[in-house]
Amino acid sequence: MRSITTWARIKSPWVIHFNSGACNGCDIEVIALLTPRYDVERFGIKLAPSPRHADVLLTTGVVTAQCAERLKRIYDQMPEPKFVVAIGACACSGGVFKGNYSVVGGVENIIPVNIYIPGCPPKPEAIIDGVVKLLNSLKEA
Amino acid sequence: MLAINEILFNIQELLGDNAQIKKFFLGKATIVINAKSIKDVVARLVKNDSTLGLSAITGIDLDKTIGLLYHLRTSEGIVTIKTEVSKGKPIISSITNIIPGANFHEREAADLFGIIFKDHPNLKRLVLPDNWPNDLYPLRKDANLEDISKSRDNFSYKIDGSQSQEDSLVNIIVGPQHPALLEPEKFSLKVDGEIVKYVEPRIGYVHRGVEKAAEKKTYLQDVYLVERICGICNACHASAFVESVEKILGTQVPDRGKYIRTVILELNRLHSHLLLLGHAGLEIGYETLFQYLWRDREPVMDLTEMLTGNRVIASSLTIGGVRRDIKETHIPIIKKQMIYLRERMIFYKDLFENEPSIKLRTKNVGVLSTQDAIKLCVVGPVARASGVPIDVRKDDPYEAYGEIPFKLVTRNDGDAYSRLMVRLEELFESINIIDYAIDNLPKGPYRIKVPRVVSAGEVVNRVEAPRGELLYYLKSNGSAYPERVKVRTPTFSNIPAFQKTIIGENMADVPANIVSLDPCFSCTDR
Repeated sequence: MRSITTWARIKSPWVIHFNSGACNGCDIEVIALLTPRYDVERFGIKLAPSPRHADVLLTTGVVTAQCAERLKRIYDQMPEPKFVVAIGACACSGGVFKGNYSVVGGVENIIPVNIYIPGCPPKPEAIIDGVVKLLNSLKEA
Repeated sequence: MLAINEILFNIQELLGDNAQIKKFFLGKATIVINAKSIKDVVARLVKNDSTLGLSAITGIDLDKTIGLLYHLRTSEGIVTIKTEVSKGKPIISSITNIIPGANFHEREAADLFGIIFKDHPNLKRLVLPDNWPNDLYPLRKDANLEDISKSRDNFSYKIDGSQSQEDSLVNIIVGPQHPALLEPEKFSLKVDGEIVKYVEPRIGYVHRGVEKAAEKKTYLQDVYLVERICGICNACHASAFVESVEKILGTQVPDRGKYIRTVILELNRLHSHLLLLGHAGLEIGYETLFQYLWRDREPVMDLTEMLTGNRVIASSLTIGGVRRDIKETHIPIIKKQMIYLRERMIFYKDLFENEPSIKLRTKNVGVLSTQDAIKLCVVGPVARASGVPIDVRKDDPYEAYGEIPFKLVTRNDGDAYSRLMVRLEELFESINIIDYAIDNLPKGPYRIKVPRVVSAGEVVNRVEAPRGELLYYLKSNGSAYPERVKVRTPTFSNIPAFQKTIIGENMADVPANIVSLDPCFSCTDR
């Protein structure tokens, strides 16, 4: 039974994307993943409409004070097991906005992160690479 | 339409010696007046010039007082009204009753500087987080922001969908996380059956405090910071900032640098408009259109990568010119892609004009009349779709736009369909501009050396971003860091249009309506 769920999880991870204060640069690259040139649906990756349906949380952007609570809430709503991918320099560490008055910092300050994808913004290829690495680590576990 | 001189004459007639006039300072002219007379002056100007709009209200900490700069958009250019209020008792009359578009500008100044606008209809918190202390104003120089991180780690889940008891309307909260929104923002809608009766946008989810951060970085570092205000129109932010610095320095950018900048800015516009039109396709339930348009956006991203080294954040513009030249080998590639794009645009134009499903979802939806567009001070394609012919590229040419012929696209219906069509037709103009710039690329250097230290001075500069007029106010005090950087983004000016176009419409039309206004909340909140 367990091997079937792991197989399903690896072959068709449903993702949810949350922007916690990004400049849209990473967001448009995440959306570009769904469009014909990159087309991540060939890996079975599908954008879920609600956090309750999602396996993987793709976060972009630095976490602002106003968004921090909401990010935690979305993470809490996701069913176990859940994985978090931090996309872009801001989500990884706070980036250029680190230390500003209305900014909490990187995503790791609020929720645990599984994969960090650096770049400002990372290229779609890099994001695919990160997500595939996450899936491979599931296979080994 | 009034000439600047007439406006100045009017003010002098009203105030006599109480108004000091400085010509060609902060736009076409600056008028220094007493805070008490702000309402009378603005009322007088609006009476005389019906096309007058408010571009921005800039607050600035002047040590003992707080300065307020009202940048007014006249038919001839920007006119600034400067006034001061005391720090202890920062009270000034609101001008929202005279210019409804001032509403959000005043709320922002109230948030960041603690100014109390008397008679303002709704002076609630706008950009700062909910758990922000009440008596702390971040953009004042004496604000103590060291301990702020301690006061805000109190997480508490708030239930914000509560039903009010008094009326029969149903509250619907859209956001901050919602499948139709790519960015975290909240719209509280009140609906009666299917009809929206009231909408209250809550912005500030993406507020990162860029204006304050810019004061702690050097001018060159700031170029990279302001680009990251918005990933979509990043080159426009860079262009507005570097031009402001160049204006204070008195630097003349070489012609080749100007033309290369123009090409990069127009590539930015191409990718932004294609992105928006695709997003519109998604919101009206036409996913094929979304996939098609985003596929045809990829060549633009490739060109940006080829010319600047990065797909999204170009980081190509710098103080004194551009960082990379356009090589001879690049030119045939650019030309080939422009031919491809023009062909595709003809296909999309045909599609938008003849496809019934697009028209059904967008025609006569969210109509913004010409009078409302002027009153609410909207900018960019939203204003042009309502028949207001404003475009900074024409009104106040910068870079190479003064030398390149292009058409100003306007429509008169003011509905969601016109707003999309204005953008679609602007794509053709952008392609023409790039073609012209490549054909007439001047020889010579593309960058000059500029002094590291910026002399003291202040300047207002504006550029036409894909979403409309982007205004920067920059004050330098002669040190390595700027004294104040004010960014008024086009989407911030367009927020009042949300309320105007959504109220009275069908609930099902709200996504199509919002997307046709092209919101970009990372710009709006900064």
